[in-house]
Amino acid sequence: MRPKYLKAVLNSYAEIFFLQGYLPGLAFFLCTFINPNIGIAGLICVLTAYLFALFLGMKDDFLSSGFYTYNPLLVGLSIGYLFKLDFLTVFFIATAGILTFIVTYSLANIFSYYFHLPVLSLPFVIVSCIAYLAASQYSNLFVNGLYVPSFFNLWESKLPLWFLGLTKSLGAIFFLPHVFAGVILLGIILAVSRIFFLLAIAGYFTGTLVVGLFTGSLSQSFQSLNAFNFILIAMAIGGVFLIPSPKSYFLALIAVVTSSLFLEAVKGIWMQYGLPVFTLPFNLITMGFIYVMGILGYPYLAKFYRGTPERTLDHYLTYNYRFPGSSRTLCLPFSGEWTVWQGIKGRWTHKGPWQYAIDFVITDEQGKTFENEGKDLEQYYCFRKPILAPVRGRVVKVVNDIPDNPAGEVNKEHNWGNLVLLYDERGFYVLLCHLLQGSIKVKEGEWVERGKLIGLCGNSGYSPQPHLHVHVQLTPTLGVPTVPFSFIQYMSPEKVYFANQLPLEGQRVIALYPDKSLDMKMTFLLDEKMDFVVLVNNVPKTNLEMKTKMDSNGEFYFEINESRLYFGKWEGTFYLYRLENKITPELKALFTALPRLPLVFKEGLHWEDFLPIHVVLGGLRKHMVLLGSSFFPSMAKVKGEYRFLSPDEISGEIKELSLKTYVKLHPIKGIERVEVNTKGQKIVLRREGV
Amino acid sequence: MVKKKYEKPVIKKLQMGFMNKFGRGYLSHIRQAIDGVSIDKLVEMYGSPQFVFSEKRLRQNYRRLYNSFSNRYPNVQFGWSYKTNYLNAICAILHKEGEVAEVVSEFEYEKARNLGVPGHKIIFNGPFKTISSLKRALEEGAIINIDHFEEIQDIERLAQSLNKKVKVGIRINMDTGIVPQWSRFGFNLESGQALDAVKRIAYGKRLVLNGLHCHIGTFILEPKAYSLEIEKMVNFAYQIEDDFGFKIEYLDIGGGFPSKNRLKGIYLPPEVIIPSGEDFAEAICDTLLRCLRPNDFPKLILETGRAIVDEAGYLITTVHAIKRMPDGLRAYVVDAGVNLLFTSFWYKFNIEIDREVQGIPEPSIIYGPLCMNIDVVEESINLPPLPRGTRLIISPVGAYNVTQWMQFINYRPAVSLITIEGKIELIREPETLDDILGKEKLPQKLQLNLED
Repeated sequence: MRPKYLKAVLNSYAEIFFLQGYLPGLAFFLCTFINPNIGIAGLICVLTAYLFALFLGMKDDFLSSGFYTYNPLLVGLSIGYLFKLDFLTVFFIATAGILTFIVTYSLANIFSYYFHLPVLSLPFVIVSCIAYLAASQYSNLFVNGLYVPSFFNLWESKLPLWFLGLTKSLGAIFFLPHVFAGVILLGIILAVSRIFFLLAIAGYFTGTLVVGLFTGSLSQSFQSLNAFNFILIAMAIGGVFLIPSPKSYFLALIAVVTSSLFLEAVKGIWMQYGLPVFTLPFNLITMGFIYVMGILGYPYLAKFYRGTPERTLDHYLTYNYRFPGSSRTLCLPFSGEWTVWQGIKGRWTHKGPWQYAIDFVITDEQGKTFENEGKDLEQYYCFRKPILAPVRGRVVKVVNDIPDNPAGEVNKEHNWGNLVLLYDERGFYVLLCHLLQGSIKVKEGEWVERGKLIGLCGNSGYSPQPHLHVHVQLTPTLGVPTVPFSFIQYMSPEKVYFANQLPLEGQRVIALYPDKSLDMKMTFLLDEKMDFVVLVNNVPKTNLEMKTKMDSNGEFYFEINESRLYFGKWEGTFYLYRLENKITPELKALFTALPRLPLVFKEGLHWEDFLPIHVVLGGLRKHMVLLGSSFFPSMAKVKGEYRFLSPDEISGEIKELSLKTYVKLHPIKGIERVEVNTKGQKIVLRREGV
Repeated sequence: MVKKKYEKPVIKKLQMGFMNKFGRGYLSHIRQAIDGVSIDKLVEMYGSPQFVFSEKRLRQNYRRLYNSFSNRYPNVQFGWSYKTNYLNAICAILHKEGEVAEVVSEFEYEKARNLGVPGHKIIFNGPFKTISSLKRALEEGAIINIDHFEEIQDIERLAQSLNKKVKVGIRINMDTGIVPQWSRFGFNLESGQALDAVKRIAYGKRLVLNGLHCHIGTFILEPKAYSLEIEKMVNFAYQIEDDFGFKIEYLDIGGGFPSKNRLKGIYLPPEVIIPSGEDFAEAICDTLLRCLRPNDFPKLILETGRAIVDEAGYLITTVHAIKRMPDGLRAYVVDAGVNLLFTSFWYKFNIEIDREVQGIPEPSIIYGPLCMNIDVVEESINLPPLPRGTRLIISPVGAYNVTQWMQFINYRPAVSLITIEGKIELIREPETLDDILGKEKLPQKLQLNLED
């Protein structure tokens, strides 16, 4: 068996606990062999399902999806738990494996198409129920459950009841309801994810306490093996489908509490047929919660799960700090320095459905928008200044004949005044209004590129003084509700660079325009290579070859040995996104030295960026910070400050880590040199062979 | 009640209205302070005559002009024209505001470098660039605008010896309706000479053409001339880009914007005839945005000197003697003349006095201190009878005077700066004999021993 398949199969063991990686998988796999009967049964079931999938012509995609592998695995374990392995049982397991594949495949499609939901382990519940029901008629199978190995029972009685309950129900997930198996599983979970560990424990105790309250007997609720449902629900909701945070933890526990009702109810019915409830409460409660939160657009819903809750959290925290903007990106529709007069949700007119709008004026050093008394429109700084197209798109509406109001007066009849409405093919409309009468230079139907002169700033419509109003809407009718948007590539007068953000009221902004040479420099074609020598304290250590690749999601990355450094160039800024697989000091150095690069040079331009925890911290500190940041998000803020020293040199500093960086760009393509200085260590990446 | 002072009776020609060829009627022009610092205090500190610059006015002028351009075109860079005023303090203020240096000689290049301006922030123009200065400029990455074919050769040779490909711009001249046409600088556009220069550069393969420079004249009063200049430059730039594969990264349109100064021979006051910076900016930027292709914003370089510094400079001078000319005109001898006021040859200055003076204003002549007939600061100005010691404040004198002044007959005086904070800084000491003798060499046999 090729290692790829081996890893995939092992991975399916880990996925039962929502983990990724074959190492925890291997540990779980070995764990199942505490009862070899169960271990072998699980493996057989996965393999038959896989062989059948191969027979149907499905290849690697079977192994790449967790649902297809861990559902047959669970079914196999459940059958192995019940029947002793012999030829007939193997045949029975194989049949069940094929059935699981069929059920999983159909359900996965239906669920993702109609509900946008994962199928979780529902196929396992269904097939195992079927298998158990069918098996009750097959008296030829050798029932194993009657011969439970009893070597643990000697000292079990000395352990507290809650501990027994916790470990046994945890073990029961793998059909190993023993203290020993439970302790091992708990250990593995702790080793891989502290957040999962906390959630598992909190879920277990919340569920059992609630059940205990209702039934009046805690000892009885501790003895119920079905409590593993509580554990799974807490882990799934608190750590997988929601971004770990106090709110998510709270929701997870609520879900656990609601599931206790469900559990008892289902148990009542299932018992009639002599069936265990398996993971049915977990599946239905989790799906229900996720479905509702999905429809409501709950903000903490995780769009990407990165393998452990810690990594998801790291991704989202840095993602929120690093990318505060939206995907409806506009250039500033003017040149030079302007000031936000009224921002989003402004105090005068940006209210209700029109809250996502910005008004711009030009101000002087005293903050005045005009010189002298401002009685005359000509005295307003922004009057007659060119207005440029903020997006590329088609002009869908032009109004050019509304007279400009004298200063201090407004036109209540034609609110928007002279205007240009542009349609951006990304699916939205941009309105620019209060333009000067007769100044509009574009016609309806015309195609405009970003930065094209479309008219002059005026004082028409509901405008007491010359200003420019910008907003984004989703339909071409005037007056419809506005939607969020953001501006790209601008700086403050203090030369702070903003890649994609929304300026606040009173903030001064200066429009920047991309620099073609810098853009070319950071354009990497597929399979293009950069070779580096890594020097640690001036001693050459290794060579690095960075090769540009694209993954199956269309994301670009640099392939460096076995690691991946994801990058992207978007709206005038070059970004490094994340490191995957093996994280070496050289890659960390590269990432910390240049997490983003404005593709425009201005002298003294500087910017900040927030670095993912997995890039900057290591060891115990990383784990502690990640766990802590699920409660206090600001703990994960590792801020780097960067500055252009010259058009191709960038210095940086991360104060939290007392770390200094330096990057020199190559005159033609890519990076020439990277230096990272920490206490007593200097890592240098020197470009070779150019 | 104070007894009225006796005044000698004079016969005065009756004049109607304010404007005639003798200038305005006398409107009480009194200036007791510059930026809140009294004239007396300035003279007490650094004497008379004295040039005084206002940092506040200088920065205001720059920002105003910069904003009128930057709010209309996204890629604007001002280059400080060193020849207009290369006092270190003035240059430093403007560099801090964000201007690069525009120099036209080896001396100016060295001066800018000495001040701390890096090579890549210097624009090197002019018809006479020595080989040594070109070499230094190339090594230091300066922006060079080529003036003639010989210079193309010079730079190609230097590029070869330095073994690198260098970026250069060329200066072109063209007809924009402005007379005189400055056709002596650069390559002519209409005759095809400019295109020949581009071909020559492309053929040489050592240089990369990345910019165009043009300067249509000085004290231009017609914004449309710039529109025409821009249109021709942009068209030529695209012709170069399309036919030769060069990328024109900057359009340097020179300077030539007027200051609010009264030209001799023009009767209307400057407020009426001189277009504002906004008018020039609108003509230039709207034409750029109209003519440029989408998403192409080459750097617009402006080398405005006069419009920024002229009005920030004042000259304080003192009445030394009063004369009555044979034709009855009153005349004054003051301590500053054409040796310090080069621009007096074409400007009619704004002359203010430092105190209230009683008496009937009458046309007067102001003579400088030189023992030369040409030394006339003002041929005709209505002034009340000024007593000896009255200070006259002459403005605007910030442009060209402190570069073209002469050490002729007299020493050159102190130059001071009133900072934003209101402090008075000496930015150039008055000259002494040692400054002048320092360079002189007297052969041994000519040593004089007359006192023995």
